[in-house]
Parts: sequence; C-alpha cells; structure tokens
Amino acid sequence: MKRNIIYLTLIAACLHSSCKKDLLSPDSKTAVSTLDLAQFSTKERIDAQVLGLYAGIRNGNFYGGRYPVYNEVRADNFIAQSTNAVTAYQTYNFTAGNGAQEVTDFWGSAYNTINRCNLFIEGMTTKGTGIVGDALAKNYIAEAKVLRAIAYYSLLQLYARPYWDGNGSKPGLPIRLTGNSVAGNYDLARSSVADVYAQVIKDLNEAEADLPLSYTAAVNNVIRTHRNTAIAFKTRVYLSMQRYADVITEAEKIVSSSFTATSGVLHALQPDVTAVFKSPYLTTESIFSMPFVSGTETGGGQSALSSYFFGIKLYSLNPQGAIGDPAFTQADKRRSFITISAGLPYLSKFPIGAAQGYSDYVPVIRYAEVLLNLGEARVRSSNAVDPQAIALLNAVHGRSDASTTYTVSNFSSAQALADAFLRERNIEFLGEGLRSPDLLRLGLTIPGKAEVPAVPPTSAQYIWPISGTELLYNKLMTDNN
Amino acid sequence: MKRKLLTTMLLLWCFALQVDAQTRIIKGKVTNESDGTGIPGVSIIVTGTKTSTQTDASGTYTIAVTGAAAKSLRFTYVGFVAKVVPISGATMNVSLKEDTEALEEIVVTGYTTQRKADNIGSIASISGKAFENKPVQSFDQALGGKAAGVQVTIPNGVLNNPPVIRIRGTNSISLSSYPLIIIDGVATYTGDQSGSSAAGNALSSINPNDIERVEVLKDAAASAIYGSRAANGVIVITTKRGKPGKASVNYDAWVGTVTARGLPDLLDAYQYTDLKNEGLRNAGTYDDSNPDAARRRYFALSNDANGNVINTNWYDYIYRRGTSHSNSISVSGGSQSTNFYISANYTAQKGILTANDYNRKAILAKIDHKEGKIFSFGGKINYSNEENKAATSSGSLNGEAFGTGGLGRLAIVTAPNVAPKNADGTYNVQTPTTIGRGANVGSDVGFYNPLAVLELDRSNNELNHVQSNIYLQANITDWFFVKSTYGIDYIFSDNDNFFNPINGGSAAAGGSASVSFNKGKRWVWTNIAQANRTFGKHDFSLLLGNEQQRSTAFGFGATRTTLSDQAFNQFAAGYATPGNSGSLGENYLVSFFTQFNYNFNKKYYLSANVRQDEYSAFGLENKKGVFYGIGLGWEIANEGFWANAGLDNAFSSFKIRGSYGTVGNTAGLGDFASYTFYSNGLYNGGSTLVPNQTGNFNLGWESSEKLDLGFNFGIMEDRITVEAAYYKNTLEGLIYNVPQVPSAGLPTDPMLNIASMSNKGFEFAINADAVRTNNFSWSPSFNISFNKNKVTSLSEGLTQFITATSSLESANISRVGEPLGMLYAVRTNGVDPASGRRIFIEQATGKNVLYQQVAPAGQFRYTYEDGTEAPSISLSKDGVAYRNTQPKFVGGFDNNFRYKAFDLGLTFTYQLGFYVYYGTNSGLRDQRFWNNSTDMLRRWTAPGQETDIPKIIAGDNVSNGSSFPIDVNVFKGDFLKLRSATFGYTLPASFLNKAKIASARIYVSGNNLWILSDYPGSDPEVSSNGNTSSAPGIDRNSVANGRAFTAGISVKF
Repeated sequence: MKRNIIYLTLIAACLHSSCKKDLLSPDSKTAVSTLDLAQFSTKERIDAQVLGLYAGIRNGNFYGGRYPVYNEVRADNFIAQSTNAVTAYQTYNFTAGNGAQEVTDFWGSAYNTINRCNLFIEGMTTKGTGIVGDALAKNYIAEAKVLRAIAYYSLLQLYARPYWDGNGSKPGLPIRLTGNSVAGNYDLARSSVADVYAQVIKDLNEAEADLPLSYTAAVNNVIRTHRNTAIAFKTRVYLSMQRYADVITEAEKIVSSSFTATSGVLHALQPDVTAVFKSPYLTTESIFSMPFVSGTETGGGQSALSSYFFGIKLYSLNPQGAIGDPAFTQADKRRSFITISAGLPYLSKFPIGAAQGYSDYVPVIRYAEVLLNLGEARVRSSNAVDPQAIALLNAVHGRSDASTTYTVSNFSSAQALADAFLRERNIEFLGEGLRSPDLLRLGLTIPGKAEVPAVPPTSAQYIWPISGTELLYNKLMTDNN
Repeated sequence: MKRKLLTTMLLLWCFALQVDAQTRIIKGKVTNESDGTGIPGVSIIVTGTKTSTQTDASGTYTIAVTGAAAKSLRFTYVGFVAKVVPISGATMNVSLKEDTEALEEIVVTGYTTQRKADNIGSIASISGKAFENKPVQSFDQALGGKAAGVQVTIPNGVLNNPPVIRIRGTNSISLSSYPLIIIDGVATYTGDQSGSSAAGNALSSINPNDIERVEVLKDAAASAIYGSRAANGVIVITTKRGKPGKASVNYDAWVGTVTARGLPDLLDAYQYTDLKNEGLRNAGTYDDSNPDAARRRYFALSNDANGNVINTNWYDYIYRRGTSHSNSISVSGGSQSTNFYISANYTAQKGILTANDYNRKAILAKIDHKEGKIFSFGGKINYSNEENKAATSSGSLNGEAFGTGGLGRLAIVTAPNVAPKNADGTYNVQTPTTIGRGANVGSDVGFYNPLAVLELDRSNNELNHVQSNIYLQANITDWFFVKSTYGIDYIFSDNDNFFNPINGGSAAAGGSASVSFNKGKRWVWTNIAQANRTFGKHDFSLLLGNEQQRSTAFGFGATRTTLSDQAFNQFAAGYATPGNSGSLGENYLVSFFTQFNYNFNKKYYLSANVRQDEYSAFGLENKKGVFYGIGLGWEIANEGFWANAGLDNAFSSFKIRGSYGTVGNTAGLGDFASYTFYSNGLYNGGSTLVPNQTGNFNLGWESSEKLDLGFNFGIMEDRITVEAAYYKNTLEGLIYNVPQVPSAGLPTDPMLNIASMSNKGFEFAINADAVRTNNFSWSPSFNISFNKNKVTSLSEGLTQFITATSSLESANISRVGEPLGMLYAVRTNGVDPASGRRIFIEQATGKNVLYQQVAPAGQFRYTYEDGTEAPSISLSKDGVAYRNTQPKFVGGFDNNFRYKAFDLGLTFTYQLGFYVYYGTNSGLRDQRFWNNSTDMLRRWTAPGQETDIPKIIAGDNVSNGSSFPIDVNVFKGDFLKLRSATFGYTLPASFLNKAKIASARIYVSGNNLWILSDYPGSDPEVSSNGNTSSAPGIDRNSVANGRAFTAGISVKF
C-alpha cells in the first residue's frame, strides 16, 4: 500500500512534467508576435497598422505637441515662464546640446515613425496586399508614404541647414527606406539636404497618385491623408526649397479662382477662424490634423500644445512678437486667441486643459496655409506686387479682420508684400509650429526675446545639433557645424 | 511515554528497596548556561545504571546514587546539549548549553541539508537571532555585515524599500543582480511588489522572528543546484519549526521611534530672500519698479496673519518622528512524532516621512508529522497582510528621483518664505501644479505645495501574500528516501491612489483616483530522491530531482480623472473621465537536477551538481541550458601526518576546498522578452497596431563561470573558526539591450547575450567564542570581503554606455575595462577668484573654461582664461568616467557581550573604497528659485575671494551641477556604521518562576545610531536607482535614512 502511494506519486510527477511542455513556448495574449508576419494576417490588423502610422506622427514628441512647440519657442513669439529643461527651455534659449532630451527624442520619434512606414510598405508587398486587395493596398501604402514624407520634412526643419544654404548641398539626414525589426548594423551616412527633399517630393508625388480622393467618414478627411493632403503638403515643401513655381503648380491643383478646392476633399477657408479650433475640428479648412480624445487618447502633460501655452502656462506670448504687430489689429478676431492671465498674455488657441485630456486637435496643415503659400510664391516668383497674391492675403486676413483690406497701394515693393505674407503667417499660424521654419527657409535672423539674444543664420544655434545617441551609435553620422 | 513513566516508577520501586545499602543523596540545580535560569524537566540518569530522575519546575533535582559503580550523572533535555558530569560531593549544580547544533553542525544546501564538516561549497550560515526584534520591515534589512561577500545597502528611509543585495559583486548589467531567494524550499517573489508610491518588499511577508536560519550559497559547488538562476548567489531561508518537548510560548514586543538623520541645512526665509535677490541683481533681472507690473521680478518676505515673518521649515511638514511597535507570539512544541510551530505577528510602523506607514499582520503555522517508520509529511502556511502607505511619491524609489512631487526634493526645493496655508486656512497655491508665490514676484517658488499633497493625496498599497507548502516523504530504507513538495506563493497587490484636485500631480485635471490590482501566482512542485550510503570509509550521497515552477501574473487598473465633488477622495466617487490598464504574464521553468557527494574517510571530498533548466522566457532557439558545479575538498586535520606533526593541538579542523562550475542568471528577464511584438493602441477610437518590442529568438540565460578556492580552519576545538576564500566569477553572455542606431527606428533596443564582465575577490571571516566564563562572555565575529568588478566587453564596437537616473540625469557610465556603473561627470577646477565664475575643464584640451550664466554684450557664456569664446561644456563632450561606485571592501563586525544577566550586542557594518554622486547637492546649490543649502552663504561676492561656491546668478543651473553632473558633487562614500546596538537584561529566574515564566529579557536598542563618514549627504548608504545593476552610487533627491530607538521585551513561557 505504502509502496503504491510512492509509485503513484512518482508516476504523477513524471506525467505532470511531460504534459506541461507547451508552457515553455507561450503565446502572448496581449501583443501580436511577428512570427509569420502575423501583423499582416487579417484586414483588421492591417487597418490597425495604418492607423498606427498616424499614431506615430501624433506621438507627444512629434505632432502630438512637441514638434510644433519647439518650432514656436525657438522663435520670437513666446516667453518662457518656466526654466524646466524638460519643457523645451533649452530650445527656447538655444542651449540644447546633442544630449538634450528634445534633440534625442524628436529624432527618435520621427525615425520610429519612418521605420513603421517602411515596415508597413514592405509587409504590404510581401503579404498584406494579398489580404486587403490591390486597390486598398495602394491607398494604404500611399498613406504610409505621405507620413514618411512629413517625418523627413519635419526632421529637416530642425536638424539640417535650410535649403537655400548651399542650395541643398549641406548635410541632410540618413535616408532610410527599408524596414528594420531586429538588431543589426545600421550605420548610415547623411544624405544631402537636397537628396532628402527629393525623397520627400518623391513620396508625396507617389502618394498623390495612389491616395483616395476622400473618405466616406468625414472625420477621416481630417485625421487621415487623402490626395489633397499630399498636394497641400507639397506646397509647404516647395516653399521651403524656394521652388516657388512648383508651389504655384501644386497649389493651383487645389485652389480655384474662388480660393477653394474643387476636387477631392472640398477644402475652403472657414468664415470664422475660431471654428477651426473648436470641437469637432472637422471643417474643410483642416486638411490634416492630429486628433485627441478626452479620456482615452489624451495629450501629454508635457507635450500637448495647451499644456505649454495655456494649460500649465509654461510660455506666455511675447508682447514684442506677433501680438505686437500693428497689422494684428485690435479688431482682428484672432485676438480672441489671446487670454490675459496674471497680467501676462497667453495663447488660448488650444484651450483644452488637463481635465479634458488636452484634447485639442493639433493642425498639421490648414487650407489657409496653402493660400498663403500660393500667394507668397506668386510674389517671390514674379518679384512683383501680384494682385492675386494680395487677393490671397486678403482672403486670410480679411476673414478675421474686416477692417483691413490690402490693396496694391499698400505695398511699395514686392519685398514689402512678401514681408506682409510673413507677418500674416506669423499671426495666422501663431502656436502652430510654422514660425521657426518660416524664418529659416528665408535665412532670416531669429529675433531675440526677453533675455535670449537673436540668432543669426550664421550661428551654429540656427538649427539643432544632431542627436547625441545617433552620433554615438551610427558611426557614419556627423554632427552639425 | 506512558511506558517510560511506568518503567521509571518500577525502577524507583526497586531503588527504594535498596536505599539503605550505600546510598548517597545528590542534590542540585540544572540551569541554562546562557541566562542562568533553571531548566525544568531535565532527565538525570546515573550512568551505567537505570537510576534516573527529572528536575522540578525550578530546575532542582534530587537523586539517590547507590554503589561504587556509580561514577557520573548524565543530564539530558530536548534542545540542550547532553552533559555527563563525574559525581563529586552531595551538591551538583550543572549548567546546560542550548543545542545550537542546528546552526553549527549542519548547513542547509537548498534541497537538502548536509553536515557542515562534509560541505565543501562556499556557504555562509546566519542564525535567525540576527533578525529578531529589529526595527525593520523585512529580514534582509538586517542582513548587512552578517556574512562575508554579501553587500547589503539600505537605499533610503522609505519604509519597506527592498535593500540592494549583492553577493560577490554585481553579476549582471541589464538584468537584476539580486540573488535568488528560496523560502522553505520555494523560490519566492522578490523586489518591490507595490504599485503605489509606497514601497512593498515581497520579503517582508516573513516575520523576521520566524526565521530559524539563513544560508547564503555563493560558489558553483553550492549554488549550481539552482542552475539558471544561481549566478547572483542564492539565499535560502528556513523558518522555525517545532521541536519535541513541552510546548513553549514566546512573546516578543518592541516599541520604537525613528527620526531622519543628516538632513542638509537649508537657507531660512531671510537668507533665501537675500540670496535669490542677489542672484537676480547679478543676472541684471532684478526689477521691483517696472511700470508694467507683469515684468517685475524680485523675492520678498511676507507676514502671516499674526504679523510674523513667514519662515517655513519644510522639513517640519515632510519629515516626522515615526513611532512603531511590533508584537509577535509563537507557540511551538511537539512529540516524537508530531511537531508544530504557530506564530502571529502584528507590527505597525511609521516612517520618517509623513504618512509613510507600514502595517503587517502575519501568521505562520507549520506542522511536521512522522507516521510509522517510513512516512513523514507536513506543511506550512504563511499568510501576511501588509499595508504600505504613503501620501505621495517619496522621490526615492527607483525611477522617481526627478519626479516633480518627490517629497525628498520638495523638502529642499520649496521656498522658505512662503507658507503652506493662507491666512484663511486654504492651501497656498499659485496654479494647480505650483505653490503660491507669497510676496515673491515674477517667479515660481516651488513645485507642488508639500502640505497639500501630504494631507490630501494618498498612494497606498496592500499586499496579501500566501506562502504555503506541503510535503510527503517516504524513507524507503534507512539510506534512501523520496520526497515530494508542492508549494505555492501567491502575492496579491492592491493599490489605491488619490491625487487631489487642488494642487499636485492631477490637480490640473481636477483630481484623479486610480486603483490597480496585480495578482502573482506561483506554484513549485519538487520531487527528489536521495540516497546516503557508507561503505567502509566511503560516504556517498546522491540526489536526483525534478522541479517545475509556474508563475502567472495578471493585473488591471483604472484611473478616473476630474473629480465631480471635491469633498470626496475615493475611487468609487464621481469623476468625469475613466481610464484603464491591464497586464498579463506567465512563465514556466522545468528542471532536472542531481547532486552527488562523496568523501573518503572524512578526508577527501567530492561534490558535483548538475541542473538542466528549460525556461519559457528564453528565445525559441535557446530554451534549454545545463549548469554544473564541481567541488573538491581536503580535510587535512584528519590526516595522520597532521596529528604526527602535532598540528592537531593547534587546529581542530583544517579544510582546503575548491570549486568550479557554470551557472546562469535570468533574474528580471521579461516573460516574453525574446519576441518581436506589435501592440495595440488607439487613433481617434480606431485600433492601432504598432511595433513595440524588438525581439531576439536566440535570447538565453546569462552565464557565470565561478571559481572558488578557499580554506577553513578551527582552533581550540573550533572556538575560533576562520574561513577564507578567493573567488572569480567570469560572466559571459550578459544580456545587454544593445542600443541600435536611433535612426533605424526600432521600437526598443533588443536584448542580446553579448556582454561580459568579471568579479574577483577575497573573503575572510572569523568567528570566535573569545571569552566564556560563568559571568562574562564575548563572542565577536568579523568579516571582510574585497571585490573587483570589471566590464570586459559590451557589444561589438561599443566601449561604453550610460545609465540615466530617473530617465533624466546621466551620472553613470560603464566602460570596458572598468567597473560597472562608474560616475560620469565633468571635471572642474574650482571657482575663479577674480570673477567668481565656475571653472570647467574642457576634456579635449585640458583647458580651463569659465562659465557665466548671463553674458553681457560682447562677452560669452563659456570662455577660455584669455577671454576668447569656448565651446559649450557638455557631459557628452567633456564628461569623464570619474570614480568607482562599487565598494572595494564591505563587511561587518558583530560583538556579543554578556555579563551576568546583562547582554550587549553591537553590529558594525562598513563599506570602503567607493564614491557616491551627491546629485542632491546640485539641487541644493541651483540658482533657479530653488531653496539652497547654507553652503551658499560662502558664495563668491568680491574679486580676489577664494571660495568653492561660484557667484550666484539667477537661473544658473550649470555652475553647480544641475544641468550636467560635475566632479564637485562626487564624494568618497566610505563609512563605518553602528548598524545596531542592543543592551538587554535577563530577569532573574527567581523572580520569574512565581509568574510561571521560563525566561524574560528586556532590552533597548538603536538602529543606525552612529556613522563614521566624510560623506556630506545624509547617508552614503544610498541608492536612488534601487537595485539597478548599472546605476549604483547615486544620491539624487532621496529622503534621508532614519535613526531608530526601540525598547522591547522577550518572554518565554
């Protein structure tokens, strides 16, 4: 009897150990393993990956707030009320070194998005197209290309000298077009600024051909990219390259004589600019915006635009900046975006605070910009006080400030009109992250503010240094200056 | 039992009949040698006869001795060493020594036990007495200094924070270097199991008073039986069990207080206001009269409602005198067949930080039963309910150092010229995340209002921890047994957090509450068969075993933000916004192992262990590993020539031993670390799927090749024992998250088994029974170990890597050829007497570079001494691997004195030959609005002044090291601590007997009483990065350590 008990125990022990072998290779029940490209195994997973590419652009270090914030605070419209290095102070006062958090994190975030796009494009070719069919696959791949273009363009604005400097011959970025998923030797040298811009244009052109004209769900016309998104973004890219004729060519695809888009998504200026920055954020003026959802997809406490400019009030508006511009008249409706708090002016264009999860949409590109891009391109390409340019300027300015209508007589020279465009952009896009790129693309000195001195185009601080970790691990990488 | 009584009575009858023939009556008292109390129930037998008796309740006896054959008396009692005393005179008082054989004569080797004399592995045994009645939450906090080669660092004064434990150096880079912990045969959960801001050490479930003994397995011969998990050493804990004999009841209680020690001296309101204004003036930004009020900037004192100047010492709010108590009761006893041990413990401890509490209710019940000659079975259940409470982050746990609301930091940052509350009793707040500015204008003067978060927030954790096992053993023959043990370890962690809507972390969002629950369940089933046989002079033992260990984890949490009604603070109240989280994990370890021991004539020893582990977390291509250890020993004292040479007079034992083997490390390896994963998220309500982990299917264990050479000897019948060892751990295939080029865009750095490192060292321990007389005894024990750690390679092409503190400050650098985790800092060269500017040393040129925060027109922020512009100083360009953080020497010195009924125990610990980065100091000298230490009173103010503190300029976060670490804030950490001192008095037996008390002792003790160190921070024994292997030696915004005093009583019935 006793012996039997022992034998039973031993037998049970052996049986027990042999039955549990499957436990040695557990499948995750919360994440998709890439074995057999399982991430492309169903349409639902592929759809989710497409949205994941957008989520990459929306990351807190990128358009989820920090990228436009950096481009604002390094320029002249904001005064720091905090000295916290975590909230862009070093970018604000031009002390950000290679190791600064913003310098390494934005770099990482943008390239992470690029790699998502690359992996997606490859996986679709290998497997995904067979799952979703050719038509949808073309749309999806085109979306990946637009987003990749936006990521490269955005990186250029902070890490590379502007295009005009040596006509794109200065060091640009490592161009990565293949997906990486395991450890490897990823040393890669910087391509020239011109080469990177060429890649951006190539992606946008290919995307333009393959993107859907519009989506059935109206929300997707704003939070996903469609053909007009690619075109609109090209006007920005060409403007940065000072290829004004190309700006005009692209813009004219989506700007009719009545200053609206007549094919694809029917973009138009809104009569009331404040409508663009209000829920549901889905006007036809918003060509592409990053959505946030209170409670579930909240903006970051140290990345959302509102947290910097209004919620936590880390940066007040510089009285000597755009808000001090005489062209920004008291009658201007855009003054309603300025709120005085404790005696200081703050930008309340993105007013939603932490309680509602900083859920303001972040504009990536608006139709107003396309109009101003077109107008400015006309002035700069013709070097004349172009009437259509003035009409475009009036379209944007006049909708917020009916008291002012510009005429040819207002501008003594083409330069004066070009300057007016710059000032209008400064007012119109305040807080949207266009200020520093606008100064840089024209080689203008970044004006000083408060205790921070001006930064001339010759200065090393005119652009960021390269991410310190990139320099450390990519043996072919070189720093700026 | 009955039969014995009967026999005794019969015998007594016989003796009674013969009493008149040459009978002598001998009387006396049998006492406990350790405390002089009488021992009741001692059996006394006249040797060579059947005459016997027992002592009475007071320990006295009377026995009749007849005939010339009666030469001596034999005294025996369970739990005491038997003694034979020659008969002399009519009164024979005898003292018996408590049988500490359990500790001295055997060692627990993990799955089994071994005679200590037969063991050749490097194992340190520590008696449970080392942990009893200490003002600690878990036994490991009292482990420091008790064993050679074991470094224990208490990271700070946060209650129940797991200590940093290193056995023979740091043995991993990216994984944990924390040892495997086995409690009563079951590998237990370790580390901080709390999901709140209060720490929750898993090991605190064990009442330290329940610990019988602790073994530390250090070399391959000892630890290889634990295979893939043994590289960091193994700590084997054995809890108490009942012993045959009358039931004894032990009651232990103590009360105590604890206060923070060594807090830095801060500026008061007057000094703060003056210095900050001086900084503004030096920066040229002081402005108290601008017509635009919004542009004014100055600091000013203000008065409270009573007209007194507000002068707040934030220490008074954040720190406190904590009071604690502990009550433990245990009942143990048993018969020849069944033994039991039951204990209950309740302790409530308040730490030095306001609202940081620890409460534990624990029970342990254990039973062992023998059924017939073959079977024995038994089991235990240890249940504990622990509450780990905190108001908010201490800023002192791993990853918290730079948290805005960390209390360690708030205490020193917040301006002293503002009050926590306004005159109307409301909290003084500026914005939801900043304290009110008082009369100061133009700048924040603090982060969160400390009082608001202390009073309104909470971050509590509750652990319910069950550790239980049952076993069945069959002794099939007298030399062969099989044993099956099934154990469970369930730890349930409940967390309850509330962030108030007025000021603090969630105030901007209108307050939030979050709860989370994490369930860890583990079962371990071990089956072993062991044979022990002796053939002539050959002793063999063979152990075969199989073990399976399965762990699953499940967690979920929810956050609700924007409180509907500010009067409420519970999760179940109304909130605007919900949020949630979840986690899931599982792993499985299946193992086969064998241990073979052999010795010839107690002279030549061989021990071999082999273990094969298959572990689910390893990569698909690398699931299985085989680990082994071989040891050889030579007991020279048992050789004939030893005695012939007369050495046996000096040495009672002398053993030379050596071992070699390879074991592994998996501690801290994620369950699914080898996979490449995509995971879900949301984009405007739609599901996303994005890469979130870079995998490696070849991922495997880290390998540690251990060599150990040593000798042990005893002199004077082992009254003095000495152990010495040399060891070398060669670590290969260490997992390193190999940084990939950032522009490759991978979601995480993949884990590769790529790095290597070594630890080499010596250990020396001496234990002595130095003085033992009836009235006085002194038993000192001393140990010291020397360790040298060296990183020998990282991944290809990588020569160094940096580890950040709290993701922000890169103060540790690990370089090939140097020890892991050196301090990374920029060199400085004092303060320029002419200008008061900090002088940095440019690394590339060695040139002095002077810094000024605000450069007047035409000047530069960084200049060479000739005034020309210098490039900005940065850590990446100018930082150097400055100093070593791993102590060269660690050890302890224990002394136990007894004089009559008084006893005194002193435990010293020390760590030598290492440096600490006092990062807190850079904050204490930061020239933003932060309050400063009184060091700033000796700042540079006039040309020609020689001082170590630069001119103060508002906004300057560079000169004193906030922006990047500088050498000025690196200090020698060497310390000698009086870790604990206990003075006790054993109450006289005569007094106790009336109360039917067997023994009673009262004592007072102090913990962390005295420290000898040049370190300027509150305590050089510190770790802002917890157990992180590659980031030791950082003191960044941590709360101080406490100094505790306790008084207690131990009573035995």
